[in-house]
Amino acid sequence: MPERKPVTPNTYMNSNASGIPASPSRRQALKLGAGATALAAGGLFSIPSFSADRTLRIGTYGGYFENSFKEFVYPAFTEATGIAVESVTQPNSSDWLVTMQQAAASGSSPTDLSLFARDTMIKASRIGGLIAPLDLAGNSSVNNLEEVFIYKPEDDILGVGAMSWFVSMVVNPDQVDVPASWADFWDSENFEASLGLSKLFNSFLLDITAATFFDGAATLSSKEGILAVIEKIAELKSNVALWWSAESQMEQAMKNEDVIGGMYFHDVATLMASDGFPIASVFPKEGNPQDYGSWCLSPLSEKSDEAKEFIAFSCDPSTQALMSRKIGTAPLLAQSKTDLSDDEFTAVSGTPAITPAYESYLDNETFISENWEKMLAS
Amino acid sequence: MSTHARKAPEPVASVITKPLPAGLQETASSEPVMLRPLLLPLLIGATCLLCLLPFALVLVISLGEKIEGAAWQWALDFSQYRRFFVGLEWPDSVSFLYSQKLFYSFYYATVGAVLAVTLAFPFTWLMTRQSRQLQTVWLVVLLSIVSLSEVFVVMGWDVLLSNRSGLPMVLREAGVTGWLKDNGFFPLLREWGLANPRDLKFKTSGFAVILTMTYLVWPYAVILLFPPLSRMDNSLMEAAQTMGARPMTVVRTVILPSIRIPLMGTTLLLFVFLLGVYVTVSVFAAPPQQTLTLSIYQSIRGATLNAPFGAAQAVVLLVSACLCLGASHYLANRSKSRS
Repeated sequence: MPERKPVTPNTYMNSNASGIPASPSRRQALKLGAGATALAAGGLFSIPSFSADRTLRIGTYGGYFENSFKEFVYPAFTEATGIAVESVTQPNSSDWLVTMQQAAASGSSPTDLSLFARDTMIKASRIGGLIAPLDLAGNSSVNNLEEVFIYKPEDDILGVGAMSWFVSMVVNPDQVDVPASWADFWDSENFEASLGLSKLFNSFLLDITAATFFDGAATLSSKEGILAVIEKIAELKSNVALWWSAESQMEQAMKNEDVIGGMYFHDVATLMASDGFPIASVFPKEGNPQDYGSWCLSPLSEKSDEAKEFIAFSCDPSTQALMSRKIGTAPLLAQSKTDLSDDEFTAVSGTPAITPAYESYLDNETFISENWEKMLAS
Repeated sequence: MSTHARKAPEPVASVITKPLPAGLQETASSEPVMLRPLLLPLLIGATCLLCLLPFALVLVISLGEKIEGAAWQWALDFSQYRRFFVGLEWPDSVSFLYSQKLFYSFYYATVGAVLAVTLAFPFTWLMTRQSRQLQTVWLVVLLSIVSLSEVFVVMGWDVLLSNRSGLPMVLREAGVTGWLKDNGFFPLLREWGLANPRDLKFKTSGFAVILTMTYLVWPYAVILLFPPLSRMDNSLMEAAQTMGARPMTVVRTVILPSIRIPLMGTTLLLFVFLLGVYVTVSVFAAPPQQTLTLSIYQSIRGATLNAPFGAAQAVVLLVSACLCLGASHYLANRSKSRS
């Protein structure tokens, strides 16, 4: 699924007056990430931040996301349990999987708990030997989460949801009326060469199109269905001004009015709107895709007890609310279980949610990626 | 070939025309004689380790087998190469998707390199006619441009070409956009992908990619052309002018032929440099015009974790580049022997 680092208000405010993000570009982030990965793999990151007896190494996506965890979430956990956290930088989810493969081969893991997107987690479980089963007996707070966020492929639980985010429809309300359906984007009268959509095959445009014009995830379970959906997306091409591969591209394109609509992360769009930029994050009648990250334990870790305590802490409604407020992620449980106000909740979440066809993306990944590329290149 | 048959490397001091300070000469001559026979094998070993070994690894990985929904495993499977040339679904259907990407890699690199050298030549020529002091200032400015990373350059052009604060805004405010609309040029510009119904747009476009690539390598072109142009003997041009040649004739018949080899070398170097450009293409090129570099990265580090296919694409790109360089070398030699 799209590699992303959920963004805090800080990210957005770090843009300077000319609209250039002060945060590193994707290329820089990749370079930094690669360096950090190498260092992390070498164990050089393992500098204890506390001299406590009990410690836990947790990986999160680097940048503001990790910083917010270090600033708000880990201190609260240490205060509650006495377990010190060593934060480890992950460049993203799929790159981290490569690192964990190398770590498994060398017999030394850079983290105890890693953050994996759902597809990466399934992929890791299929590769085998990269994720240890979690023993969550007696961990009542896990029951707070909706069942879909607990990954249990067979008998064992391999991943527990950490936080989620939405990819939503965005438009510039000054330039165009807010559409009621994703289907409106296919209308060239309003949107010729004006949209910004994600270029990655697994960034949910397939799910959106399947939900809008077909039978949703069921259509994506067959190769014929996939081809039909891709064909439908091909009709949209003349309306796309930007096929973005990094979040910052779309952010700049919306700010500069190079595009007047498209798909983008709900939380960042909400922050941009609150800062006065002409962007509306919309939940059309078909809904928006919801993706989420999971905590997964390394089989090389000897800290399964500490990991269990952290997962319990993470699933607690107050922690989920804390993450929504400070990191901008959507909680993995009903709003009623948290103390989030309506405004706070709508800033990070919405309905209806489209659940991506994760299994199909993995079972047909070469087929989908090749046909997706062909569609883009034609 | 036996390494002993080769002449031992000359001491550094002997290949430098100016005499070295006494202290340095002593260091060079006092180098332990025992180490000299080892130097060449050591250099060859280091080259193999640093250059050939990674390439061999890429070659071996390209023969690996992809496991759907997971990663890949070592194998002796040529299907990645087949996928590159005829597509995944061959023989049911044929696709030249990756050949198209390879074409764009070469297209951008060629156009960017040729444009940069074409623009750098007159600039460098005029620069070499300036005072020594002014030349130094220019070289310092050029070196500072070179120190900018591709990321910064792309970010800069991204802003300069953006709708609200860049070139489209300037053209709109200057009335050019309105004039183009009124005089019926907009449908044509929209067809070329340089406008939407409201405004001119330069992103994403081949124009933006070539502009940025040319900008990226232009300072290198100037720096590389500076030494041969500044060494040119003025009396040759003066003689041609005395014999009645116009300035352009002098350029065509005297200057260009005498720096033909540096020009060719510079173009090839910049061409190779531009083959690997990533950020420019990822930001400014529309998906149908994107290059193999992006596809390689996407295969290896992207969601599919298809390292064998990424490696196969890298091998094809490298082999194609080598063939291209070999062909230009052959053509250069042939034209040299003719002349």
